[in-house]
Amino acid sequence: MLRKLVLAASLLGTLQLGFILAVADAQMENPTLDAAAPVPISDPFEPFNQAMFSFNLKLDEYVLRPVATGYAAVLPLGARQGVGRFFDNINIAPRLGNKLLQMKLVGAGKELSRFLINTTIGGLGFFDVADSWLGLEASHADFGQTLAQYGMSSGPYLVLPFFGPSTVRDTVGFGVDGAMQPMNYLLPTYPELIAARGGWVVGSTINARSLNLELFESVDRISLDLYGAVQDGYLQRREQVIRDALQK
Amino acid sequence: MKRPHFFILTTLGAFFLTLVFVLARTGQTADSPLETVRSTVDQVIQVFNDPANQGPGMRAQRLEQVGAVVRPLFDRREVAKRTLGVYWQDRTEEQREEFIQLFTTLVEKSYGETLDNLYQKYQDQVEFFYDQETIDGSFAEVTTRIHNPALNKYFAINYRFLKVDARWLIYDVVVENVSLIRNFRTQFYRIIGKTSYEELVEKLQAKLRQLSAAPASS
Repeated sequence: MLRKLVLAASLLGTLQLGFILAVADAQMENPTLDAAAPVPISDPFEPFNQAMFSFNLKLDEYVLRPVATGYAAVLPLGARQGVGRFFDNINIAPRLGNKLLQMKLVGAGKELSRFLINTTIGGLGFFDVADSWLGLEASHADFGQTLAQYGMSSGPYLVLPFFGPSTVRDTVGFGVDGAMQPMNYLLPTYPELIAARGGWVVGSTINARSLNLELFESVDRISLDLYGAVQDGYLQRREQVIRDALQK
Repeated sequence: MKRPHFFILTTLGAFFLTLVFVLARTGQTADSPLETVRSTVDQVIQVFNDPANQGPGMRAQRLEQVGAVVRPLFDRREVAKRTLGVYWQDRTEEQREEFIQLFTTLVEKSYGETLDNLYQKYQDQVEFFYDQETIDGSFAEVTTRIHNPALNKYFAINYRFLKVDARWLIYDVVVENVSLIRNFRTQFYRIIGKTSYEELVEKLQAKLRQLSAAPASS
């Protein structure tokens, strides 16, 4: 009961903070390719973001990349891709919840079907038979996207320690998506919950990094200002994810 | 008498109709943004497959040839102008020419290196898909995908075109929903905002030296 109260309180607090900051800054949307237009990025937290960005780079350089490289050396690519699909499959709750909140009932039905098919015939999700046999393609939905659909602007840019680039709205979304995980309510004690969530985050992060070992290096190689390149890359991709949600 | 006359006229008519059709088709093909992308990628692949270009030691030569293939396809001035945005107006013509040269060389190198890395690793297993062409007045966008066989994943690359003197020229490349022009503009605005335009030019020169000195592993 106490845990539910703590979760609910932290959720409300995060939501409130996100709303205030997002209302205070509403000029990040609608990027334009007009040559005369300034780049519409709001980054009032830049000193904090720069510090977190440097921290994440060091963490990647000294821990994540070496571990992911070693992991990639012992586990073949096909197996790592299977692990990636497994993590995606068990992460159904936020996707399903957000499809429903976005009133995308067909999408919610597809998510549920994919989960049932891949968990059973697809061996706990290691194989995506729902897509390869039945054409039920994987899709994306998160609470940041849902908030955008209900009219909330992105708010300022924010770099999270460990998790990387975000915005205030997407950080709120990240918190809510985490709270949608059934394991929060099913595991009986805090140590079990922390171990399970920690294992999930660490496992899925190392696996994802092992599948993109050269991606970051290639961005770094051609960038003149890596912070700006990562910031803009994140924001452009999020804008597309949100446009997709609004169109479909 | 009428019959041979009719026969000649019909033959000539058919010949001219065929000629008009062929010319129209050739013209359309040459002018179409999608076909422009397709034929350019084909030429890039020919560079990669050329027996004289094989091996890590020939990388610089390959990239130089790829640069020569893709260079005429870009509206270099438009690319540079859009990237520099509001700071373009304050530049002298000499500074603009210098910036065009530096920045478009960086874009060519990045594009060439990306394709080269992929192709050297997976050779002819890499597949290119030319999905769609959307034309809106003097603007056009071509959507393409590259299939990476090892990851079994598709990467989206869109080319944005502008019609200049009846020719379609690229002014932006969008990789996985990230416009390169906008991405570089963000970086350049930050650098100029915190330091100066001169510092940006120095950084560009240093980056090009770095890319030439230490080629990425293929």
